[in-house]
Amino acid sequence: MSETTEKFESASDARRRVLNIAVSTVLLETGFDATDKMSLETLTEILQCFLTEVGNSAKGYCELSGRVEPVLGDIVMALINMGISLQGLEQYAARPNRHIIQPPQQAPAPKTPAMLSAGSKAKPAPHIPFHLPPLPDPHAYIRTPTHKQPVTEYEAIREKAATQKRDIEKALTKFLAKTSETHNLFNTEDNQVFPLIACKPTFPAYLPCLLPTDQVFDFDELEYHFQVANRTEDIPTEKKGKFNIIYKPQLLPVVSVPNNFSTHRWTVYLFVTFPILYNILMTLQILKFACV
Amino acid sequence: MLDKTRGFVELTIVPLKDNLRCIRLNAKQCRIYRVCLNDQYEANFQYYDPFLDICQTDPNTRSLEVFSQYHLAAAQKIDPDHNSGELQIQLPDEAAHLVGEGRGLRIGIEFSLESPQGGMHFVVPEGEGSLVEKSAHMFTYGHSARLWFPCVDSYAEPCTWKLEFTVDETLIAVSCGELVDVVFTPDHRRKTFHYVVNTPACAPNMALAIGPFETYIDPHMNEVTHYCLPNLMQILKNTVRYVHEAFGFYEETLNTRYPYPCYKQVFVDETEDEVTAYTTMSVLSTHLLHSIAIIDQTYLSRKAMAQAIAEQFFGCFITMQNWSDLWLAKGIPDYLCGLYAKKCFGNNQYRYWIHQELQEVVSYEEQYGGIVLDPWQPPASGARVEPKDTFYFPVRNVHTMSPRYIEVMRKKSHLVLRMLEQRIGQELLLQVFNKQLSLASSAANTKIGNGLWGQLLLSTNSFVKAIFTVTGKHMAVFVDQWVRTGGHAKFQLTSVFNRKRNTVELEIRQDCVHERGIRKYVGPLLVQLQELDGPFKHTLQIENTVVKADITCHSKSRRNKKKKIPLWTGEEVDMDLSAMDDSPVLWIRLDPEMSLLRSTVISQPDYQWQYQLRHERDVTAQSEAIDALHNYPEVANAMISTWVGPPAMLTIFRKMFGSFSAPHIIKQNNFDNLQHYYLQKTIPLAMAGLRNIHGICPPDVVRFLLDLFKYNDNSKNHFSDNYYKAALVDALAATITPVISVLHPGAPITVDSLSADTKLVLEEITRVLNLEKVLPCYKNTVTVSCLRAIRRLQQCGHLPSIPTVFRAYAQYGQYIDVRLAAFECLVDFVRVDGRPEDLSSLLTTVESDPDPCVRHGLARLLVSNPPFERAQRHRLDTEAVVHRLWGNMNSHLSNDARLRCDLVDLYYTLYGPKKPICVPLPEIQALMKQMHHKERDREREKEKERQKELDIKPAIKLEADEIKMETEIGPVQSLVMPPLVVDRRDDLLPVPISSIKEEDVKVEVMHSIITDLTEDKREFISDNAVALPGIPGTSGPIGFEPGMFRHDVSDDLGAPKAKKKKKDKKKHKHKHKHKHSKDKSKDKDHKDKSVLSRPPSSTDHLKIKEETRETLSSFSSSQSPSEDISNMPTNMSF
Repeated sequence: MSETTEKFESASDARRRVLNIAVSTVLLETGFDATDKMSLETLTEILQCFLTEVGNSAKGYCELSGRVEPVLGDIVMALINMGISLQGLEQYAARPNRHIIQPPQQAPAPKTPAMLSAGSKAKPAPHIPFHLPPLPDPHAYIRTPTHKQPVTEYEAIREKAATQKRDIEKALTKFLAKTSETHNLFNTEDNQVFPLIACKPTFPAYLPCLLPTDQVFDFDELEYHFQVANRTEDIPTEKKGKFNIIYKPQLLPVVSVPNNFSTHRWTVYLFVTFPILYNILMTLQILKFACV
Repeated sequence: MLDKTRGFVELTIVPLKDNLRCIRLNAKQCRIYRVCLNDQYEANFQYYDPFLDICQTDPNTRSLEVFSQYHLAAAQKIDPDHNSGELQIQLPDEAAHLVGEGRGLRIGIEFSLESPQGGMHFVVPEGEGSLVEKSAHMFTYGHSARLWFPCVDSYAEPCTWKLEFTVDETLIAVSCGELVDVVFTPDHRRKTFHYVVNTPACAPNMALAIGPFETYIDPHMNEVTHYCLPNLMQILKNTVRYVHEAFGFYEETLNTRYPYPCYKQVFVDETEDEVTAYTTMSVLSTHLLHSIAIIDQTYLSRKAMAQAIAEQFFGCFITMQNWSDLWLAKGIPDYLCGLYAKKCFGNNQYRYWIHQELQEVVSYEEQYGGIVLDPWQPPASGARVEPKDTFYFPVRNVHTMSPRYIEVMRKKSHLVLRMLEQRIGQELLLQVFNKQLSLASSAANTKIGNGLWGQLLLSTNSFVKAIFTVTGKHMAVFVDQWVRTGGHAKFQLTSVFNRKRNTVELEIRQDCVHERGIRKYVGPLLVQLQELDGPFKHTLQIENTVVKADITCHSKSRRNKKKKIPLWTGEEVDMDLSAMDDSPVLWIRLDPEMSLLRSTVISQPDYQWQYQLRHERDVTAQSEAIDALHNYPEVANAMISTWVGPPAMLTIFRKMFGSFSAPHIIKQNNFDNLQHYYLQKTIPLAMAGLRNIHGICPPDVVRFLLDLFKYNDNSKNHFSDNYYKAALVDALAATITPVISVLHPGAPITVDSLSADTKLVLEEITRVLNLEKVLPCYKNTVTVSCLRAIRRLQQCGHLPSIPTVFRAYAQYGQYIDVRLAAFECLVDFVRVDGRPEDLSSLLTTVESDPDPCVRHGLARLLVSNPPFERAQRHRLDTEAVVHRLWGNMNSHLSNDARLRCDLVDLYYTLYGPKKPICVPLPEIQALMKQMHHKERDREREKEKERQKELDIKPAIKLEADEIKMETEIGPVQSLVMPPLVVDRRDDLLPVPISSIKEEDVKVEVMHSIITDLTEDKREFISDNAVALPGIPGTSGPIGFEPGMFRHDVSDDLGAPKAKKKKKDKKKHKHKHKHKHSKDKSKDKDHKDKSVLSRPPSSTDHLKIKEETRETLSSFSSSQSPSEDISNMPTNMSF
């Protein structure tokens, strides 16, 4: 008999071990000293079959009489039906030198993994009768939006925006540095680490500098707010300290700007300044749509 | 660059004597064809310009002392106020009957101007496109009208004017006076602008600007018109938004109407100064323009424009009588502008400005000598200018003064006028101005015959008289003390508190009276003590060099409990008085209102300075306290060793600008609060100056700065953050400290040898600099800062000292601010590591850069950071440099007085007033001279060949005829293009024929053809036609040696260009005229037209008519050609 089988059996059926013990005890009482494993198993098998038969039969009688759980009578009926005499059974059960089998140790019930619970269960409302089952987990009945919630933490947003901006700038300048002439700050041949894009003379030189493109301003809007800020009718006359008059030539009030303004602006930069990249982006976009 | 103008001037003069035989006018760099009297008689004329060789009689001197004398003599020999001039017109005998007392005599002069070297500037951007597309334009600059038309170039000769300018129809001519009419030429391709100046104005206040300007009529004042170059209209509108307010302010303050019927502002590129005011118009730099999103420039632009408007009243309408009255013409507009600035930007700003000016004047005077505002009349005391206060340049003529001197003098004039205001009161001073203006206005409305036009002139004496008439106060003593005597006072104050008597014993000393720029002051002096009970003023009488005074304290020493301390503003503040000893004096101030020209050295303990800094409300006191605290390094040092944790400023900055939930991340920019904006710019810079015990910037600070870069977010700001970003780069640069070399010295610097922090810094700098290439910010401020930062890295040994980057950024075609910054770095490089070639290339830029602003700016940079110290036998200190500078000063810059004086400054800085050490001794010099002579002989031979060449000229003229036919065949080509006075065929003329001839005779001939062609109507070349010696020209005899040297110099430089030209020329020869690439034909066209080419019917292209009737005797004296002229061998007469 191989070990594995043994293991399997012991592991598979603790009940069978109890039956084993029962058979062995009866054998000892009867006067055997030892038993062959095979015969023991056979006897155990017979016992198990017998018990199963009795159980099934008893259940049949029980259900026949409209009950859920069998009672003693059902078992008696089953035994009788099987042709087993019940006489002397009581005496046998109370025989003086009988062995008592220790009840099997209660194995800790293996924990069934809890259902995925989310949130705390709500207490049933007072109008719901107490006998009704408790409410299921909240996720089962509350409405959850299907898209991902955006991160709302200020710090993280700023961090992310700054990193993104920097990455774009880096990529852009790196690309340009690789595709155009560069100045070298060192005497070395290669100019990989800190390349400076070479400057090109422009004519007239003042135009790009007086009309800068680093930021896109809506001048009409600025103009409007400038006018608003400079109106004097409804501003209470300020108390003017003799020496601390601050003149604000361009005082403007705060205006709210659409949320997506900055990204929008960035796109504009790119598109204005870097048509190649723009084309690439557009192509990607189209491809994406095609795939979808 | 060959730029040509052709003009005709008609002056009407009224002789005061019958025997007038000789008239002297001013004219430089003009070629004069004909002088005609009353359209009938042709007159002979002579031309003589001593500036062509200033030290002619002493050619070998290299000493500035000698030069200075000759310089003044030269300036006075042609000074119209001395009845002199370069152009001397002899009245022919047959025209003698025209001259009669009180009868007008008209003098007509036909002239042309070729490649002007000063006074007139042509801006022709390189590249594709028509001239209009490229915004090519021209304008006159400076206050020397003689550089562009013959005139009496004096401020003291006002007259009325009719001006006519014919330009291409796409262009606009803006000039002085009212625009009366714009008439098309018969061929409808050009327009003639007629301007009339009815209010008398003097020639130096005349100006002209031509270009494809966009016009904007001021919406608040219809009389005011603004012009800008194409594409700039939007920012023009924003910039001039407040011009009308300035007009209103001045009119109200002076209680006078604006004296002219109109006002024009023209914004042009490549100006020398930000703003120059002329009669009824100002020429401003286009770099003053800014959009509504720019903060810093707003202040500068607004002030510059206000300044120009103030000059309309004083400086243009009322001018100076003589050079000695320059201080009034400069000081009064500055003073008025100051009043406007005070109203506009606040009192603190104004006081700070005054304080800065005072400091500047004081430090200049202590370095170079006391400035005498009116040096022509000694003070009544008879005191003479002491040798310690003598300048190395003549101060009696504006053409010989150092530009820096003029600048500081202007500031001093402003301060003196402000002092005057404090003496007689603002209201009365304004009444004096009002009186002058109303007298002048009524005089201007009369005819010249009434002899009232003298009211338009202001002199020191007439000003003092006017003050007396209005106020009844004699200001002669004040004027003697501050106007006719130079220098400033210097007070040293010490104080001791006498506990027993509860007095402060003050001692005021003037120990330095014998030092340069400092003089003894006698008179009242205000001392202000801030005591525990409040501020108290005491006026001390200063009579001696040592004055002692006991001042009784009003407050008992601080036994009193905590009590608020009243300040002079009326505020009451709590102070922590623990630092004090038992004296009740918190701080002492001397002359707090700046009512004297003085510097003060106040000795008081550091805690008193600290109180002053913390609690005194006056900005000047605060800034003085900061300066004084610099002298207490122990305070700062003590902090370094004991300070742990983040720098205090970091905490403050985070509190003010850090975002609410994450203080280490700066808020998104919002510059609506300007106070905060300036703090936000300044604090990082100040923090970058911190050093820890190891002498390096704390790593915390570097990280903090890098974070500022990272989290900078301007997306929701209403203002541009370009100045802020530039300030951050400056701050990064300021953190850099000299490298501690772990490698063996001399090892090449590579990327790997950089420290980690330096790498981060460098990465940031390269990133923002590269980003500027795609997204340039306003005025490229970031690039400017980056260049300085890179130089700083080089200086500290983190980067190898290579000038290539700076050279690239210094090229023509970069933005002007960037160029100047790059030159600043190059000048520093030359000083530290430069080779003679590097210095030489800088000098070449000074001599020949297309942009006058760069020439001047670079010269100033060289003066402020000289390439070598005086007499140190530096490797750059060579004789060649001496001769080169000398050659420029002495002759080559005859037409650019300002640059010449810049170089005099440079020469002085490098060599001092005496002969430079590196110039060999006379014996060796004699040897050198021989060689020199040989060279000269060779030169003469060349000259002879040239003469021969000229003899063949008739043949050339024939050819010219043929070419002219061609132009007529294809007139479209010659006329389509704007006749802007421009030609890109570079320096055709400056290249001497002799040199080209050696290469190719043919080419040379073609040159002449082209040149003649431009002259269009050859009958102008009368027998009298003469190229004035100052003009590099191909025709006309040139018998002037200095001029030849000049050719020699330009020879080497010009040679390659000449070759290039050859190609152009050959194309012409192949008669591909119609197929020429567009540019070329265009080029040719401008040249053809160069303003002068005119339709045959119209007579003059640039016609300046001076309608004047002389009141002054300058022309009436019939002095024969003066001796000093006749003995000049170079004198030419025809």
